[in-house]
Amino acid sequence: MEVEKLAIHDFLSKCMPLNKLSSDALTSVVKMMEIRYVRRDQTIFQIGDVNHDVFIIRQGAVEVTDAAGNLQGRYEEGEWIGFPSVLSQTPIAMFVKSIEDSLLYCLPAADFLALIKQHEVIQHFFSEKKQERLRNALRESRPGNYSLLALHLKDLAQTGLTLSPSISIHEAAVKMTEHHTSSALLIENDQLIGIVSDRDFRQRALVPRLDSSSPLRQIMTPNPYTLDSNAPASEAVLLMARRNIHHIPVVHPATKKVVGIVSNTDLLRSQSHNAVYLVGDIHKASDVETLKQLSAHLPKALVNMVRSSLPAYDIAHAISSIGQAITRRLITLAEQQYGPPPVPYAFVVAGSMARREQTAHTDQDNGMIISDDFVPELHDEYFVNIATVVSDGLDACGYIYCPGNIMATNPEWRQPVSVWRGYFNEWIDRPQPQALLYASTFFDLRHLYGDESLLAGLQKEVLEKTKEGTLFQAYIAANALGNQPPLGIFKGFVLEKNGDNIKALDFKKRGVTPVIDLARVYSLVMGLPLLNTFERLDAIAEAPGGISDERIADLKDAFEFISMTRLEHQAMQIEAGKEPDNYVPPEELSTLERRHLKDAFEVVATVQSTMASNFQANRFR
Amino acid sequence: MFARWRSIQNQQHRLLPHVDNPAARAYLSAPLPDKNTPISDVDFLSLDFETTGLDAKNEAILSMGYMPYKNGRVSLAPSTSEVICINRTLNAKSVIIHQITDDRMKTGVALHDALDRLLEAMAGKVLLVHYSKIERDFLEAATKRVYGKALPFLMVDTMMLEKRKLDRIQQPIHSNQLRLANLRKQYHLPPYGAHNALEDAIATAELFMAQLAQYQQDKTNVRLGELLC
Repeated sequence: MEVEKLAIHDFLSKCMPLNKLSSDALTSVVKMMEIRYVRRDQTIFQIGDVNHDVFIIRQGAVEVTDAAGNLQGRYEEGEWIGFPSVLSQTPIAMFVKSIEDSLLYCLPAADFLALIKQHEVIQHFFSEKKQERLRNALRESRPGNYSLLALHLKDLAQTGLTLSPSISIHEAAVKMTEHHTSSALLIENDQLIGIVSDRDFRQRALVPRLDSSSPLRQIMTPNPYTLDSNAPASEAVLLMARRNIHHIPVVHPATKKVVGIVSNTDLLRSQSHNAVYLVGDIHKASDVETLKQLSAHLPKALVNMVRSSLPAYDIAHAISSIGQAITRRLITLAEQQYGPPPVPYAFVVAGSMARREQTAHTDQDNGMIISDDFVPELHDEYFVNIATVVSDGLDACGYIYCPGNIMATNPEWRQPVSVWRGYFNEWIDRPQPQALLYASTFFDLRHLYGDESLLAGLQKEVLEKTKEGTLFQAYIAANALGNQPPLGIFKGFVLEKNGDNIKALDFKKRGVTPVIDLARVYSLVMGLPLLNTFERLDAIAEAPGGISDERIADLKDAFEFISMTRLEHQAMQIEAGKEPDNYVPPEELSTLERRHLKDAFEVVATVQSTMASNFQANRFR
Repeated sequence: MFARWRSIQNQQHRLLPHVDNPAARAYLSAPLPDKNTPISDVDFLSLDFETTGLDAKNEAILSMGYMPYKNGRVSLAPSTSEVICINRTLNAKSVIIHQITDDRMKTGVALHDALDRLLEAMAGKVLLVHYSKIERDFLEAATKRVYGKALPFLMVDTMMLEKRKLDRIQQPIHSNQLRLANLRKQYHLPPYGAHNALEDAIATAELFMAQLAQYQQDKTNVRLGELLC
């Protein structure tokens, strides 16, 4: 039998999960196959049919709709259909038809069941629940020592101080102190002959009371371990642990010439991805120009974190803390210029910065909640000045002016507590479209500077009110259903529920926003004083009467996966020198990622429909 | 047409006393389907030969591939592929086409063994081929040589089906248009590697499914007789 040479064998060897089989096992699968041809617009399964086959689409496309006629998905070359009913041994639950002339390879049910019994990988692929699939995918994308594997020593190595081994120990100590370094490379005749570190001065010079004029050579570690500059950083960690050393010279992989030195501190620093250091430097910046230069490092920090497979939550948190630090620093600089405030106030931020969910640079959303002692004629000029410095500074740093004018420079959002209270009461009591638009921004409000109690008091009152206002609840729930995820990816396009195909999906509007909105609805209804979506979801799971723990866990996975896809897209754009955006074209996604995204969208859609029925939200759509 | 079918049946019946080989006798004893049989009830065997040349008198069958097809389904489980050992060296030109080397050929089976198994698979079935001249000529020559008599068989030719369709709508036929690979492309079927007997037998069966699906759009109750060549 010459099955291995067949085109069908070649095709199946590339299809998941058959690509995991040994060549012999695959050959036997090929021999189980039957081939069917279905013309366009032919019924493949009717609801209620007893199914005898599992199909893989060789050519063409297939559409699945539910009993009510709602589109559930479209499937293309290489995708499997018909397995759920064979696995559950129940009649077909969906209507399945061809939408193109299709060639189908089918595996008779008995052979299929025997196959999954025999091979765990196959069993796993077909029977794993989509929620588990998503969870495993997230776990697999984050191997233990993630970031150190992704980084190479050449990215971490410092130039290092080089000294001659014949200078005195004292002279070496002076030079190392001048250079703020704890180690030095000893070079003689262009060759690395040794290394010294602070520890050598202690153990080999001071303890044996060596004369400080002795040559440095006497206390060096000769012929130190070196690593090639293209080695992953994880190798340095292993070598340091195994040999109990803290410094490793890094050499060119071909010439073996020293290119630098890497220390345990460098490794530690790489783990923090510059974000922490960036925030530290921002606090020290003395003018807008410096802040502008520092904020230019943000895209690179984002790329580093994405490449290190950090969770989306951590990345967004770090990126947001940079934005917050810049904002705070600008306020401090403004106060240095205009003096202390005439009456207490709180500088607040709204939207993604408030939720600590910023990714690439976004526009600014901010405002001022001023003490009720505020007298506009006397005090407003001061606050206008502060607001202008901050807003202009943020714009210069890449946080562009808010197109909706939600900024403290706008008098509407530079008001005393009593006016803000009025705004919130109005939005909650009369949830009109414009009010709901404001609400989704201003219900995510974080104090950034000034008198914290001004916002805290207000927030407490607001949450008391949102807990009670059932009409308001129904309206915000309905509003949150305004953005829904698509069905999945089909033939290189994003497939919409109405069957439309679009070129690229807005991962902000249709990906993360549905989850963000949903989490906000439940936290307002439950009166939870939290802003971050992950934190809100955790609290919703714990609170009684919300969504089940299990559902929330699924939703968090879905949110993480969608967020990561968006971050990876932005990192790719930054690396390509482009402006990062939210439009992810399907060709950027692997087959596996498409499958996971489809699962994630399905999870989001399911929880959305739970919300719709919980709040009878559809009445208000 | 009716006379032709009767003559096949008669030939089967008439030849039976003249052959001894059990496989050939079994084939002749299993009646081939009536031409009025609805197409969905007909058992087919999709078949392809690779040969050393085109002339059945002087050339030989080098390999055969076949599998059953019935009512919209090709089954690979019972598919068979054989390389036949022949008593001569292969010419380089044909080796390039069918990719069977002398070494591979020498490990093949004897023609009479391969033919016995083919006849067993053919019993009661209609042959499905692309460009029937090759399979018809070589099968007649081989059965005559091995069993003493050229055995009768029914055949549907996908190339002929396409030619008839084009003639019917009076469309001119371009050179190469009717080749298996080109027709498959026209019917939006995936490209397969050509000139492997098993692959070509699958390719032919798939093409037949696509042709039949199109044919059945305009005409229901298609019967075997309309498609025979």
